[in-house]
Amino acid sequence: MLSEHPWLWPVLWGIVKSLVLLVCVLVSTAVLIYGERKIWAAVMLRRGPNVVGPWGVLQPFADFLKFILKEPILPDSANKVVFLLAPYIGVVLAFMAWAVIPVNEGWVVANINVGILYLFAVSSLGVYSIIMAGWASNSKYPFLSALRAAAQMVSYEVSIGFVIVTVLLCAGSLNLTQIVEAQNTRFGFLGWYGVRLFPMFVIFFISALAETNRPPFDLAEAESELVAGYAVEYSASLYLLQFLTELVAILTMSAMMAVLFLGGWLSPFPWIPVIGASSVFWFLLKAWGVVFMFSMTKLIVPRYRYDQLMRLGWKVLLPISLVAVVVVAFVLKLAGH
Amino acid sequence: MYPLSFSIAHALPETILAVGALLLILVGAIRGEKSAPLVAELAIGLLTLALVVIFIGAKTTATVFDGAFIDDQFARYMKALVLIGSIVTLILSRDFLRRENIDQFEFPVLVMLSTLGMLMLTSANSLISLYLGLELMSLALYVVASFHRDNLKASEAGLKYFVLGALSSGMLLYGASLIYGYAGSVSFPGIAAALKSGPAIGVVFGLVFLLAGLAFKMSTVPFHMWTPDVYEGAPTPVTAFFASAPKMAAVAITLRTVMVAFPNITHEWRQIVMFISVASMALGSFAAIGQTNIKRLMAYSSIGHMGFALVGLAAANAAGVEGVAIYLAIYLVTTLGVFAAIVAMRVQGRSVENISDLAGLSRTDGWMAFFMAMLMFSLAGIPPMAGFFAKYYAFLAAVQAGLTPLAVIGVLLSTVAAFYYLRIVKVMYFDEAAPAFDRAPFAVRAVCAVATALVFCFWVYPAPIVEAATNAARAFF
Amino acid sequence: MTAAVAFFYLFSMIMLASAFMVIAARNPVHSVLFLILAFVNAAGLFMLAGAEFLGMILIVVYVGAVAVLFLFVVMMLDVDFAEMKRGFLQVLPIGAIIGGIVAIELILVVGSWTVAPAGSAPVGSPITPGVTNTVALGRVLYTQYIYLFQAAGLVLLTAMVGAIVLTLRHKVVKRQVIAEQNARTQASVVEIKKVPFRAGV
Repeated sequence: MLSEHPWLWPVLWGIVKSLVLLVCVLVSTAVLIYGERKIWAAVMLRRGPNVVGPWGVLQPFADFLKFILKEPILPDSANKVVFLLAPYIGVVLAFMAWAVIPVNEGWVVANINVGILYLFAVSSLGVYSIIMAGWASNSKYPFLSALRAAAQMVSYEVSIGFVIVTVLLCAGSLNLTQIVEAQNTRFGFLGWYGVRLFPMFVIFFISALAETNRPPFDLAEAESELVAGYAVEYSASLYLLQFLTELVAILTMSAMMAVLFLGGWLSPFPWIPVIGASSVFWFLLKAWGVVFMFSMTKLIVPRYRYDQLMRLGWKVLLPISLVAVVVVAFVLKLAGH
Repeated sequence: MYPLSFSIAHALPETILAVGALLLILVGAIRGEKSAPLVAELAIGLLTLALVVIFIGAKTTATVFDGAFIDDQFARYMKALVLIGSIVTLILSRDFLRRENIDQFEFPVLVMLSTLGMLMLTSANSLISLYLGLELMSLALYVVASFHRDNLKASEAGLKYFVLGALSSGMLLYGASLIYGYAGSVSFPGIAAALKSGPAIGVVFGLVFLLAGLAFKMSTVPFHMWTPDVYEGAPTPVTAFFASAPKMAAVAITLRTVMVAFPNITHEWRQIVMFISVASMALGSFAAIGQTNIKRLMAYSSIGHMGFALVGLAAANAAGVEGVAIYLAIYLVTTLGVFAAIVAMRVQGRSVENISDLAGLSRTDGWMAFFMAMLMFSLAGIPPMAGFFAKYYAFLAAVQAGLTPLAVIGVLLSTVAAFYYLRIVKVMYFDEAAPAFDRAPFAVRAVCAVATALVFCFWVYPAPIVEAATNAARAFF
Repeated sequence: MTAAVAFFYLFSMIMLASAFMVIAARNPVHSVLFLILAFVNAAGLFMLAGAEFLGMILIVVYVGAVAVLFLFVVMMLDVDFAEMKRGFLQVLPIGAIIGGIVAIELILVVGSWTVAPAGSAPVGSPITPGVTNTVALGRVLYTQYIYLFQAAGLVLLTAMVGAIVLTLRHKVVKRQVIAEQNARTQASVVEIKKVPFRAGV
C-alpha cells in the first residue's frame, strides 16, 4: 500500500516522531512530579517521597496507578458532556503545543512558519479547559475559579504577546528554529535574548507563572479560598488529565523560554571545544533550569491577592512590555535592521 | 505612491481631529472629572481649527493613501458642513449637560471621534474606508445616544440605535462583499471601471444592500424606524447632533458612492433612490402630523427632508448634486437653529419637550418665538426663507433630468408637511400661554439668532453657498 | 493534494454543522462553545488556503480572547432561551413562506444570469515568492494600508471609550497603595507611651 501511495511516508514518519515526543514528554512529567516534591521537601527540611522504589522514584507511577484505578465520579447536577470534554481538551491542547518546539537542530515534529504564533494560540486556548470544567461542574467554587482563571489568563496573555513581539522583532522570524538560530552569535550566551532582552525575560517568566496558574498566581485553585477551584468535582482519571494538563503546560512554558530566551540547543560557550558544541543536552538543561525556577518560586513567594494580580498584569507588566516593543523597534531601526 | 507628508497634508483636518482626540483623552484622564469644561472648549477649538484648515487649505483634488482617501471640492464642502454641525452641537451641549448632571469629558471626545468618522466617510474613496468611517461615526453615536445612562429612555435609545445600526452595518458589509466579489475591486473608480460593460447582476445585488445600509444612516424610509425613538430618548443636544452632522456625511457618501462607483448603472440605482425619496417625503409629511413631542416631530421632519434632498440625487446630474449640496447646507443651518430653540425649552430647570409647552411663547419670549417661527417657515419651504430655495434647487434638477413626476410629488408632499410646521407657529402665537421658559444661556440664543439670520438672508446674498455648491458638484462631472 | 481536499471538506463540514448548532443549541453556553468550534475550523480553512498568519491570529484573537469573554458573559447571564424561543415556532410558517418566495425570486434571477466577462476576474495581489505571508502582510499593512490600519485603531479606541463611559461608575473604594504600605516603618505607625504605674493615662 505504501508503494502505491508515496505521500503516506511523511504521514507515518510524522506519527512516529509525534509518538516519540509524546513518550518523552510523559516521562518528563513523571520526573517533574518527583523532582518538584523532592525540591519542596528539601527546602522545607523534609524527606519527600521515599517509600515507593529506590529513593521514592517510583512514586509518580504509584500515583498514576491510583488515579487510573479509582472510580471517576460524575456529579449528578453537572453538565455531563462539557464536564467530560473539558479535561480532554486541556490535555490535547497541552500536548499539541509540543508539535512545534524544536529540541535540537532539526528535531521538531512540525517546523512551521508561524511556530511562535501557533504556540501562543494553543496556550491561549488552554483557558477553555478550565472555564469549561468550572462551568460544567455546576458548583460554586469551581465556577468562581473558572472566572478567576479566565480573567487572569486573558490578562497575562496580553503582556506575553508583547514580550513575544519584542523577540520577533529581534529575530525577524516567527519560526522557532530560526529564532534559536538568530541567537547563535560568537558571543555565546551573551547573544541570547534572555540577556539582550533581560527585562522581557523577567516579564515573560512572571506572565508564564500566571498563564500556567502556578504560585504565586494560583488563585484559580487557591486551596484556602476555593478548596481546589475548577478541579473540586473531578476525581480519578479525569482529575489525572487535569493534573497532566497543568504539568505539561509548565514543561511547555519552560521549553518556550529555553527556545525564545536561552538559545535553545545552543551552547553558552561555543568557543570551548567539547562542551561548546550545541546539542539537545543544552536544551534539556535550560528547560529544566526554568522548571527549577518555577518550583522555587512556589516556595519563596507568597500567594497574591486577586486585585494585586490584576494590578500587576494590567498596570505594571502591560505598560512596560508595550513601551519595550516601541523601544526595541526604535533601537532596531536605528541600528539599521 | 505619494510621500506620507503629502497624504497627511490632504488629510489635515482628519489628522488634527485624530491627534486632538487622543490628546483630549489624556487631558481628561490626567485632570479627572473636573476637566469637562476645559476639554469641551479645547474640542470646539480643534474642530474650528479643522474648519479653518478646510477653508484655507489646498484647493486641488488628490487621491491619497493608495486610493482610499480622496480630497476634492465636494469632500471639503461637505466636511465644512459636518464640522459646523459638530461645533454647534458642542456649543449647545455645554450648558445642557451641566444641568442634567452628565457633564463628562468623554462627551466632547466622542463627538470629535464621531466627527472624525464623518470626515473620513466624506472622503472615502473605497469600500473599506467607507465602512471604517461609517463604523467610527456610528460607534461614537451609539454611545452619545445613551450618554445619559441613568435615564431609561436614553438607554433604550442607545440600545435600539446600536442593535439596528449593527444590523444595517451587516447589510452594508454584505453588499460591499458582493460588490467586491463581482467587480473585483474595492476602490470606487475600480468598481466603475469594472462596470463599463453594463450591470453585473451580483453587483446590483450588492448595490441594493449597500444602499440599504446607507439609507439607515440617512434615516430614510424604509430604514427609518429607529429615528423617532432615538431622537426622543437621546439628550437634546445629541439629537441636534444626530439631525445635523451624520446626515451630511451619510448623504455625502451615498452621493459619492453612486456617482463615482456606479455612474454606469445610473438606471439601476435611480429606481432605488427615487423610491427611498418618495417614501421618505411621504412618511415625513404624514407621520409628523400626529406628534405631540417636538423631538419626535423633528425626527419625522428630518426623515422628510432627507427625502427632499434625495430628489436632487435621483436627478444624477451636476445640477442635482448642486441641489443636494445647497439643500444640505440650508437644512443644516435651519435644523441647528430649531434644536437650539428646543434646547432652550426649560421650565424651572427641567427640560420640557412637548409642543404644547411652546404655547404662547410669543408673549413670554418674543424673540425666541420669532426665531422659531422663521425657522419653521424655512423648514416648510415658504419663500423668501432659505428652505424654499433649497427645495427649488433640488426640484429644478429633477425636472431638468426629466423626472417631473418626482418633482411634482415632492411639491405636493411639501405642502402637506407645511401643515405641521405652521401648526407650531400657530401654537406659539395664538394659544393660551404655557409657563414661561427659563432664560436660555447666551450661546444657545446666539445660535438660534444666527441660524435665523442666515436663513433669512439667503435670498439676499446666496452667492457664497451656491458658488461653493457648484464647485463641489464639479468634482463629479 | 488529496489530503488537502479531505481536510477542506472536514473543516467545512464541521464548521457548517457547528454554525448551525450555534443557533440550534438550547443551552446558550453550548451555543458559544459551538461558535468557538466554528472559529477554530475557520482557522483551519485559512491554513489550508495558505494564510497561516490569518489562521493563527483568528485563533489567538477571536478564540483565545474575544470568545473567552463572550463565554464568560453568557455563563453569568441567566437567560432562559427555551422561553425566548417559544414564539419561534408560531412565526416559523410565515418565515418559511417568505423565505421560500425570496428563494424562488433568487433562483429566477440567477437563472437568467450571464457572468460579465470584464467583472468576473477578481484582481488578487500576488505574493512575491519566497516571502512568508506574515512578512507580506507586514509590508503592506503599515505602508499601503496605513490609513485603513489607523482608522481601524480609532474605531477600537472609540469602542473602548464608549464601553468605559457607559459602564464605569466611580465608587469610593479604599485603594491599596503598595508604596505607602512598604514605606511604613515602626516609627511612623506605632507610638509607644510610657504609662506611669498606677496613674492611668
